[in-house]
Amino acid sequence: MNMVISICFAALTLAIVCALVRLRRGPSVIDRILAFDLIATCVVGMVVLLSVKWNTPMYLESILIVSLLGFFTTVAFVFYLYGDKSKRTETKRSNELEGGES
Amino acid sequence: MTLILEFLTATSLIGGTFFIMVAAVGLLRLPDVLCRSHAVAKAMTLGIILMFVGLYLHLSQAESGTGLKIVLAIFFQLLTIPVSSHLLCQLAWEKGLPRWREKPVDEDPRIGR
Repeated sequence: MNMVISICFAALTLAIVCALVRLRRGPSVIDRILAFDLIATCVVGMVVLLSVKWNTPMYLESILIVSLLGFFTTVAFVFYLYGDKSKRTETKRSNELEGGES
Repeated sequence: MTLILEFLTATSLIGGTFFIMVAAVGLLRLPDVLCRSHAVAKAMTLGIILMFVGLYLHLSQAESGTGLKIVLAIFFQLLTIPVSSHLLCQLAWEKGLPRWREKPVDEDPRIGR
């Protein structure tokens, strides 16, 4: 069982390294948000592995908190970028409308 | 019985980490934002759910009363990962990012190396 947990830790660390490479070289912001999402889920998986290793259910609350934190961060990023874009299109549309009316 | 449960736990944990690795490799290798989002959403959901199942099988030997929290965690993951991936895909579609419009992977000499 200890060997299985070590192998799983190594694989999750490798996944985090892959996501960090994408975070460094991603051409757009959305790639970086995806990489961050993967890193957050890998952290949740590591807490699950620690909980199996130490044989305790005490870390379930922290699992819930970390997963919800990752989700809310993603949603906050997306709405920040969305607001930027929609505001621009709003102003463009209103400019077009005013130009058409005048 | 304990041996069977331990074997099932180990299989679930290994399978979960394998699928998370698949998600990471897909995030690293695929050519497009939408392809990467596809890889991350599906493989990561399956992987983390398998890991939670392994945790439940392991904890059900010793402790009792932890099943509800693990079911809640599985529910949250199952709810939040597709939603966030959908929001990201919608954002990429709105922004009109460049998409991958080349030959399939088998015929592309750069990828099939």
